[in-house]
Amino acid sequence: MGETAVPKTEVRCPVCEAPVLAGDSFCEACGHPLGAPTCTSCGAPAVDADGYCERCGLRQPTGRDHAELELDGGTAGVTDRGLRRSRNEDAMALLATGTQTVVVVCDGVGSSPRADEASAAAVETASAALARGVSTEEAFGLASRAVGKLATSVDDAPACTYVSAVVEGGRITLAWAGDSRAYWLSTGPRPTKTDPSADTQPVATDPPTVTRPVEAEASTDTRPVGVVPAAAIRPAVTGQVVGTQLTEDDAAPTGEITAWLGADYGDVRPHVRVLEPETPGLLLVCSDGLWRYLDGYTFPSTGSPLDMARAMLRHALDSGGQDNVTIVLIPLGDAHG
Amino acid sequence: MGDQPTFTLHIDQNKYLPIDGREVHAILTINSTGTVTTESATPAEAAEVIIIDTSGSMSGGKIREARAAAATAVQTLRDGVHVAVIAGTDRARVVYPNGPQLVRASAATRAEAQRAIGKLSAGGGTSIGQWLQLAAQMLSAHPNAIRHAILMTDGQNNERADVFAAALARCEGAFVCDSLGVGDDWVPAELRKVAEALLGTFDFVRNQGDLADFFRNLTQTSMSKTVAELVMRVWVPQTATLKWVKQVSPTLLDLTGKRTDVNPLTGDYPTGSWGAEDREYHLCVEVPPGQIGSEIRAGWVKLLRPDTQEVFASGNVLAQWTDDLAQSTRINGKVAHYTGQAELHELIQDGLSARAAGDVDTATARLAKAKQLAVDSGREDTARLLDKVVEVDPASGTARLRKNVDKADAIELDTGSVRTSKLRKNGEGS
Ligand SMILES: [Zn+2]
Ligand SMILES: [Zn+2]
Repeated sequence: MGETAVPKTEVRCPVCEAPVLAGDSFCEACGHPLGAPTCTSCGAPAVDADGYCERCGLRQPTGRDHAELELDGGTAGVTDRGLRRSRNEDAMALLATGTQTVVVVCDGVGSSPRADEASAAAVETASAALARGVSTEEAFGLASRAVGKLATSVDDAPACTYVSAVVEGGRITLAWAGDSRAYWLSTGPRPTKTDPSADTQPVATDPPTVTRPVEAEASTDTRPVGVVPAAAIRPAVTGQVVGTQLTEDDAAPTGEITAWLGADYGDVRPHVRVLEPETPGLLLVCSDGLWRYLDGYTFPSTGSPLDMARAMLRHALDSGGQDNVTIVLIPLGDAHG
Repeated sequence: MGDQPTFTLHIDQNKYLPIDGREVHAILTINSTGTVTTESATPAEAAEVIIIDTSGSMSGGKIREARAAAATAVQTLRDGVHVAVIAGTDRARVVYPNGPQLVRASAATRAEAQRAIGKLSAGGGTSIGQWLQLAAQMLSAHPNAIRHAILMTDGQNNERADVFAAALARCEGAFVCDSLGVGDDWVPAELRKVAEALLGTFDFVRNQGDLADFFRNLTQTSMSKTVAELVMRVWVPQTATLKWVKQVSPTLLDLTGKRTDVNPLTGDYPTGSWGAEDREYHLCVEVPPGQIGSEIRAGWVKLLRPDTQEVFASGNVLAQWTDDLAQSTRINGKVAHYTGQAELHELIQDGLSARAAGDVDTATARLAKAKQLAVDSGREDTARLLDKVVEVDPASGTARLRKNVDKADAIELDTGSVRTSKLRKNGEGS
């Protein structure tokens, strides 16, 4: 058998474009390492140790600029810098213990210094505490103290919002401060016994009967907790997936938040809410980088929670991506049968 | 490398660009300590050629001052420095030593050189290109030394412009040359060409009695250099264009045309030899449109030795797009200052050219504007010289060219316009 001519595809150095041999570790012409990571913008395998592409110059997204997490069981989260901020000051934590799923999302307060450190400290402290069985209120307090310790003075006080969700069995326990939110995304048929109008008017502005507060009033907080007032509940959709806001923002009518974790706030207390959805669905925990774009939005109805979270991120970016975006979805019941 | 000076490179810029922003400006400040840090280390070898104009116009008092100045320069050389002296007319002649090789300075050779200099007499024409080419040829025997020449002339170059330009091109990179013009019959534009081609300075010796001091200072500065030849290596992204690289302090020197390509994205720009000193450079990079929030390295600058590829200092010029006008419209003080200094230089050069060509309107407008800029940026000496050329009525602001301008004032203004002021801490020129 004669030799077969193997067509040689010409390989060129991504930086200086000199021809290089397959298998070489360095370009002989310019010394550029040939096994370098690939640039997210121009695709050249030319990202240097400082994180810059040696062909197009782009500083590569760092771990926090865009991150995705997925747990066994489908719980998934994405966090992204968005299009208008220089860094991502949101932080998220997703943990699965034996029986619980723990999610914490915090959004660094833009006007505070080192807000990215505040949100990172809060999610780390709170998620670890919740995973070892600490109560929702206590975990919130620990996170608040961790953020408070980052301050060197009242004028140098990193700050962040907070929302935590612990899901065990069919029960959801939420705690929050600031304007990060939780939504219930109902994917299943509504039982007619609790919502007679469900079949004909799935999008009405009626108070939602799809969720049921449980023992929320048992909280000893001095701050308002419990049932979200009907006026605050806005079903965001009309498709197969119906979204209902579960949290109530600590925010002035002008949008500024009125509660946060940080040394310049003092003794912040969380809102707490417990509920047991009766239909299958997904718990959405998110920062304002997503919910500011939810008016009139049709939630995705297919794909894994990670696929859906990515689709929601794309929607936020397509809508302007003004702020950092964090989206966590926890499937409950038979959400993905 | 214990005998190498320490370099630091600092970059001043506003990295934020508006959405449609394409031009990135940065001022690079390079500081060299020039200190020798180990006792055993000796300074780099040095080679010095002294070029004296001995054309006919030098006869009389001028040749006496020139002889004294050249003797002072020789006296200033430290032991071991390679030296030669060239006398220039319409041809170039080695007056010391007796042959085409440089000799090491010592008490004996310094005395011999001074005796040879003492015999110099004036007569003949002026061919500066030939003088420089002889210097380049002699210095080529010392490729690793800090190679330097001092050129002194009092008259106009007799060479054709293209001959002179070709001679300068052959000398580029062979040595650094500082020039001195004496009297009021020389042409600043010619010595400016020497300075630009050979990375040196040029200066006006208004009072010929000061010539020896000028020679001593230039020789001392040259002796203080400890690193022979460094280049500034600049990378820009594939889709970007490096619009210019200019030295802006202590003098303006455009390096853009002196690029040597390293690869399609990278080029080397010569900076000459270094002692203990500060220099500043202005870079302008045109970048492709970017996305809000994304950051790029728009320039990657390294100061390095081309023979060993050793990097002495490096830094990044960045660009980040933002829709926050407060960020993108913030003006970097240093960029603004040196942009102003370059504009002042151009106004003076344009104004003087227009004045020489008889275009009174253009000359008046440019020089009056230059005067205001000189005052605003703390260039008192320049403002004082401009005041001798153009008169501005403080009340009405009306400007007119002065008559009977001292030729030496015009030459001093012309020569000095490449010097820049530094930016004071409070943001004003000094
Ligand atoms: Zn290469
Ligand atoms: Zn790239």
